[in-house]
Amino acid sequence: MGIQTTRYDGGGPAFAHPEPLGVVATGLVRSFGTVHAVEAIDFTARPGEVTALIGPNGSGKTTLLLMLASLLAPDAGSIRICGIDPVADPRGVRAQLGWMPDTLGVWEELTVHEILAMMGRLYGASKASAAARADELLGIVKLAEFASRPARVLSRGQQQRLSLARALVHDPQVLLLDEPASGLDPGARIDLRNLLRDLADRGRTVVVSSHVLVELDEMADRAVFIAAGRSVSELTVDDAGARQRRYSIQSTDPAALAAELSAAGVQASVADGQRRKPTVVRLESETAAAELLRRLVLAGVPVTAFGPSAGALEESYVSSVGPAATDQAGGTR
Amino acid sequence: MSATMVQRKPGLGFLAGVGTVFRMETRQRLRTRGWYILLVVWFVVIGLVAALAAYATGAWAPDDGAGYVAGSGIGQVMFELVIAFVLFFGLLVAPALSANTVSGDRSAGTLAVLQNTLLTPGQILAGKWLAAWVSSLAFLVVSLPMVVWAMTYGDVYLPAVPVFLLMTAVEFGIVCAIGVGVSARAGRTLFAVVSTYLLVALLALGTAIAYGLSFQLVEEQVTVSAQIWPDDPWSKVQYNDAGEAVDGQGEVIKDQDAYFTQIQEEADSYTIDPNAYVCGPDTYQASIFHTERITWLLAANPFVVIADAVPTRASSGPPTGSGIMNALSQGVRGSQAGLPGQAPCQDGKKQDVAVSADAGTDGAPLWPLGLLVQLCLAALLLLLGRRRLRTPVRRLPRGTRIA
Repeated sequence: MGIQTTRYDGGGPAFAHPEPLGVVATGLVRSFGTVHAVEAIDFTARPGEVTALIGPNGSGKTTLLLMLASLLAPDAGSIRICGIDPVADPRGVRAQLGWMPDTLGVWEELTVHEILAMMGRLYGASKASAAARADELLGIVKLAEFASRPARVLSRGQQQRLSLARALVHDPQVLLLDEPASGLDPGARIDLRNLLRDLADRGRTVVVSSHVLVELDEMADRAVFIAAGRSVSELTVDDAGARQRRYSIQSTDPAALAAELSAAGVQASVADGQRRKPTVVRLESETAAAELLRRLVLAGVPVTAFGPSAGALEESYVSSVGPAATDQAGGTR
Repeated sequence: MSATMVQRKPGLGFLAGVGTVFRMETRQRLRTRGWYILLVVWFVVIGLVAALAAYATGAWAPDDGAGYVAGSGIGQVMFELVIAFVLFFGLLVAPALSANTVSGDRSAGTLAVLQNTLLTPGQILAGKWLAAWVSSLAFLVVSLPMVVWAMTYGDVYLPAVPVFLLMTAVEFGIVCAIGVGVSARAGRTLFAVVSTYLLVALLALGTAIAYGLSFQLVEEQVTVSAQIWPDDPWSKVQYNDAGEAVDGQGEVIKDQDAYFTQIQEEADSYTIDPNAYVCGPDTYQASIFHTERITWLLAANPFVVIADAVPTRASSGPPTGSGIMNALSQGVRGSQAGLPGQAPCQDGKKQDVAVSADAGTDGAPLWPLGLLVQLCLAALLLLLGRRRLRTPVRRLPRGTRIA
């Protein structure tokens, strides 16, 4: 799923960005009437990286993305997309920005190819280059066989891919994707992951909001956690891996496992919620995990599975967002 | 900041943007079956109206001299009836074609996608208006065969035809502009459609109702007396209390019938001069209405605008038929002329206003005022709609979302 680097005449020359600045937002506040959707969010996404935006439902992810996408004005705070202020110069920002909304909107009677070609025209491309770009994108998102079908016949996953292609139509410097993986089958998820990595490797700034944390683990370089309208923490995926994590261990001889764990001085619990009832331990680092596994094997405990019980981001999500999310659910704002 | 400000200006010309929005809209419409069904229904209904008009005016009667004669006015009556119905149905269809454009995109989630491109709110509105207008013009085109049918009778006043087509197109455009403006303003499609229908009803019916109710406000009680034309043979006839004609001495004339026949013969050779009247001695109270003060209420009525703008044959020309639109135009201009015809004799004195037989057609045209009012309304709604389409959004109406 390589990306051909066809120059796109509506998008301007690539060297127009001597200093690619990505997305920088500071002190964002936005409320709708009495609902404080965003209370205090700082957000940075760098060119060449995939930045994950993680938070529970209603935490302000979509509101933040709408502000970044120049559709919603913040009540306070500042935003720079490639150094441009979307409030002062929304059209300048839009030429650099691709936005894929979480709601699926398609022009049902238009064909897939027409939608992409017309979108290209709306970014100032000529008729010929818009059509060529539409063909190229249909290949990238694997919708070429649907090119002349009306958009209404597409499945949800196909519409999602069309929406992604639409966001890429003017080869934007900054890509904002709101829940892009929802509705995609596993193959399409892998394609999406590869595509986004590819874009980041070509110097684009990619922002992805998602609940599917395992997905983000594999493609994100950095994660920003928000909860209840506030940015909670920011860390790189490597940081997340170095943190204290839970590991689940399975053995054909649970008694031997429990004995050896207590001998090693490791606190263990049995996860009731899961079907196979693995033993869960909390370990400080990956080194500690390797050390424990070696000890168990040498002690003759029949280990059948040993691994992190959740993805690195999920761990971080639970530890940083969890309490705040619970808090938000309880309080009325 | 300064380093990035030198980046190229985003390149989307105004007309290019409007054109693309227009194409997106029209392609979608051309691919929905409902639009074609509506066109067919329209064609059949207008055809039925034209056929009934032809039947009612006797065009189908056998050509035995008593029925249809070329130039006897059938075509004109039919033409004006077709005008009225095309406009009437157009006022019903145009809001449906226009009021769902922006609000429909909003509920489908595609409006924000458009807003996130280089399009300006003005381009979105202009493209959507143009698309709605062109699709409403299709209905006008479908009506053309009926107009041609009316013209085959040979007595349609030809200068009226292009003016009718132009003014109807303009009225459709105004209604579409109202619909698109409301659509951009309103949160929900249903609300936009209903609001547009109400605004159109306000123009088409509300103006007439307001005019009718305002008669109370311009009523004036005056003392009037009868007009008498002294030279008119009939006005020389005197009657006794029993209603019998009497001579100068008060004696009842013996042969009433012969006397009246004689008067009738004299009257036949008498040409009445409308201004050579005197005021009779008997006075009584009567209401007069200063309609010239309230006729402006009718100006913005689409039927009045078209009836008033479409030219009719000069009244001095050969007598021809005139249909409902001509009658409407005559009525409105008479109303605008106001008092002269209503009370020629007030307080026993002759009013010094010349009364001519065709005072109505000589009145000033009312349609430019009406068109101006309609254009202002449409412009105001488009302006309000444009404000709602501006991004980044600062104030979001309750219960709505951007995407």
